[in-house]
Amino acid sequence: MSIGGLWIMLGAYGAGAAVSILGSRWGNATRVLGHVALFLGALAGLALAIQRLTGGALQTAIHVELPHLFPFANLVLTLDGLSAFFLLIVSIVTIAAAIYGPAYLKAHSGSSPAVEVLGINIFVASMALVLCAGDAMTFLLAWEGMTLASYVLVVSEGKESNTRAGLIYMIMAHAGTALLMVVFLTLAVHAGSFDFAAIRTAAAALSGTERSVLFFLALVGLGAKAGVVPLHIWLPQAHPAAPSHASALMSGVMLKMAIYGILRLGLDLLAPATGPLPPSWGWIVLALGAISAIIGVLYALQQHDLKRLLAFHSVENVGIILMGVGMAMLLAHRGGVADALAALGLAAALLHTLNHAAFKGLLFLCAGVVQTATHILNMEELGGLARRMPWTAWLFLIGAVAISALPPLNGFVSEWMTFQTLILASAYLRSGSGLAVIAVAAALALTGGLAAACFVKAFGVTFLGRPRSTHAAEAVEGAPSMLAGMVLLATVCVVIGIMPGYAMVFLDSPVMRLLGGVGPSQLVTARGPLVLLASGSPGTGTAVSMTAAAVLLGVVALVAWIVVVWPRTLARRREPTWTCGMAPQSRFDYTATAFAKPLRFIFALLYQPKRTVRKKTGSTPYVLSQLHWQSDVVDLALVHFYNHIQAGVTRVANAIRQRSTGRIHDYIGFVLITLLITLLVFGRG
Amino acid sequence: MDPTLTRWIWPLVQTALLVLLGPLVTGLIQKMKARLQCRRGAGILQPYRDLLKLLRKGTVQSDTSGSFFRVVPVLVLGATCAAATLVPVFFAPGTAGYASLLPLGDALLLAGWFALARFLTAIAALDAGGAFGGMGASREMTVATLVEPALILVIFSVAIVAGTTDLRVIAGHPVGMRGSFGAADLLALFAMLILLLAETGRIPVDNPDTHLELTMLHEGMLLEHSGPGLGCLVLAHHIKQIVLIAFVQALFFPWKAATATSHALIMGLGAFLLGTLALSVFLAIVESSYAKLRFFNLPQFLSISLLSSFLAVALRLL
Repeated sequence: MSIGGLWIMLGAYGAGAAVSILGSRWGNATRVLGHVALFLGALAGLALAIQRLTGGALQTAIHVELPHLFPFANLVLTLDGLSAFFLLIVSIVTIAAAIYGPAYLKAHSGSSPAVEVLGINIFVASMALVLCAGDAMTFLLAWEGMTLASYVLVVSEGKESNTRAGLIYMIMAHAGTALLMVVFLTLAVHAGSFDFAAIRTAAAALSGTERSVLFFLALVGLGAKAGVVPLHIWLPQAHPAAPSHASALMSGVMLKMAIYGILRLGLDLLAPATGPLPPSWGWIVLALGAISAIIGVLYALQQHDLKRLLAFHSVENVGIILMGVGMAMLLAHRGGVADALAALGLAAALLHTLNHAAFKGLLFLCAGVVQTATHILNMEELGGLARRMPWTAWLFLIGAVAISALPPLNGFVSEWMTFQTLILASAYLRSGSGLAVIAVAAALALTGGLAAACFVKAFGVTFLGRPRSTHAAEAVEGAPSMLAGMVLLATVCVVIGIMPGYAMVFLDSPVMRLLGGVGPSQLVTARGPLVLLASGSPGTGTAVSMTAAAVLLGVVALVAWIVVVWPRTLARRREPTWTCGMAPQSRFDYTATAFAKPLRFIFALLYQPKRTVRKKTGSTPYVLSQLHWQSDVVDLALVHFYNHIQAGVTRVANAIRQRSTGRIHDYIGFVLITLLITLLVFGRG
Repeated sequence: MDPTLTRWIWPLVQTALLVLLGPLVTGLIQKMKARLQCRRGAGILQPYRDLLKLLRKGTVQSDTSGSFFRVVPVLVLGATCAAATLVPVFFAPGTAGYASLLPLGDALLLAGWFALARFLTAIAALDAGGAFGGMGASREMTVATLVEPALILVIFSVAIVAGTTDLRVIAGHPVGMRGSFGAADLLALFAMLILLLAETGRIPVDNPDTHLELTMLHEGMLLEHSGPGLGCLVLAHHIKQIVLIAFVQALFFPWKAATATSHALIMGLGAFLLGTLALSVFLAIVESSYAKLRFFNLPQFLSISLLSSFLAVALRLL
């Protein structure tokens, strides 16, 4: 059945892509059929993943040989516990996106349906193939397919800004892929084969330095895909450019492919056969996680474009995931307490991966509804949408509470587990190492606080108050099918938040695959599925029951509502807000810029805010006739790193252009000189 | 008594105590402030009278605000009461937090509930569409981002020795687990007292007595609420204050009854009341002797707390 499931999934995605030959003539039919195929493929993927994850942790991997295409490599698909868990994530978000997609695309007729359907089916299929890849060749091919298909989605709307975003994305993605190729080719040379099993065996014989160099090369390559700071610059441009359900897939799922790669290489393929990983791996991943989390959320705070804000939050959440991964790498295979903590950290990271996919997918889909209803994504021009789009508003609020890591939703659960890993690990490591871990915990706390501030802003300015533009004032609720996709993801957020114990079963298989030992269901839910337990050694640790907490909140709120507020509903008057005697207008509402101003001031060192004010005065200098105010923050990585690189490349190109005389003799001369130098350098052997 | 029953009864009794005593602490602080300022001041029961009056009143709601605005006060009260169940007041049987079926006591969850309450209050403040609400929300969330890391470090400075963030376990093992009350505890306590000022919305961080737009943080967010809704939010603020006071005691002065004997319980209750009185006096004196800080000086003030809590952790680990 399992192998059949794999084929059904890939077949459905393939059929979805094939639907695009119907072309744009039957636009709606193409869209609907393409998304039905996408839905079926994702359903098959979900069934496959759940069957694999719940069928016992020690089940052998599914192994499928593909047709022999290359003389030097066998293409193989394998599905082990780790792949299956990520396949679960891909499938859940894809199901929601497939339900949501047709209505959304119908409303945004900017691009050809054939391209959209082809792009999204190939995109999801390549992600599934990346996960199922059993050899380096399949992995790289699928990885490239994923990049190309998502590029098509990014530029599909054909706007000038999207083309630029797509270009930056292509450059960053391919720089990353180049590094991955170096890593895999080196490993393949050692192993004499591209097969992961052979690579695993061969990697065991690598020297320490070689192993670390390969890992860090891979980390940079994968980090570029994951949007790790400072390799994040493409992400906030490319993710918002795609159609919203594709943005949900890119932000919610595609970034996780890089996390999968880091886990696969760091904890599986490149890990030493016995004993712990080199400590530098864990520390660097941990540091990258902390930096990405803080920088990501700080830049998100200053964004006024709803989708761009969400994209920056993906940088933050990848950082949080990497914190868990870093702890797992640091503590893995050290025996005793450390092993249990490594499992806890990895479980926290994996759960956050799933959670982020759910709430970020939900938020992007909500942003898509806002975009459909108003054709605006700039928060300063929105406002007051909650009364015209109550479903979207409440669903966005669920996503906002979840992403801000507030109880009782799922974001809190995974951050709680990350916090517990950090505190228990710092008590275990002691001394300087312990203190560094505590500093990461403080960074995580700061991130949580900033994320909450950011989503008060995002939700409040977009959905509450008065509409600031006619588009916002005339917004209508999204189509039922779009809402259905969102409700699905919101349900995932609520269910994992209130009953996280039941999700631990899914984490067993990947954690035990990577770390051995016991799985999280025996560690975290040792006391039944309703209680979460974070504990290094038996008899200690912290327990928390999210179910009880949620019930408590619900009961108290309900009692308060019945006793206090409900009987009084009749005695309610509606009056305009007091605005110091003037007639209230939408310009009195607090704006997103104003909301983020204190933090812009406090973190000025990082933002380097620029402000230009031009005043035009009337007859006296005290009467302003016109005021132009512009404020901007910079991305430090862009200013201090990428702009220099770009300037360097331009300089070199200019220098070459200067020396391009256009005369054939000069070029023959260049060729001769090059040949001479080459012979001098390499010709002696 | 049946052990299952005990597990449920004790947290409920302690929560009820916190909810009932919450307004009294505010009244006490107001009275002390009045006396320090040579006024007679209102009676210490005044907050109760205010609450009763608010609950009997009708509601005037801004015409821009929607369903969120009505639901938020109730949810905020719910989140704050849920937080109140987590902190031990006078009874903390040491191992209960780990072994009980109903693990109530996690300090991180406590911080999470307060963050949720703040998040929702800030959202409701933006719903009315006035600039004051937005300003209050923006400032409150800014202060919260600075408070959060320090609060986590304070919790961790104790949790490192206790091996858990469960307040019932921390409070249930007074001296044996931590040795003596050393420099690390002092630094963490100092940090926590600064956070107490910030979280309860008191001078020098916030001014609870004013509705002047330049100075208010928390009050600014409540400006558009009225009647029972306002009552819920005010009660939630009273409860938050006493929960934080109980939280300080659970972390640093854990003299709680470990067994359910009447002698131990009375001692635990007495210790709690004394501690609460002492911290109320502290709040009243600080509030009477300092001016409110300028908003953009708050980061420096709060970073003192961050620094000393970090040093506390460093002392524990190194």
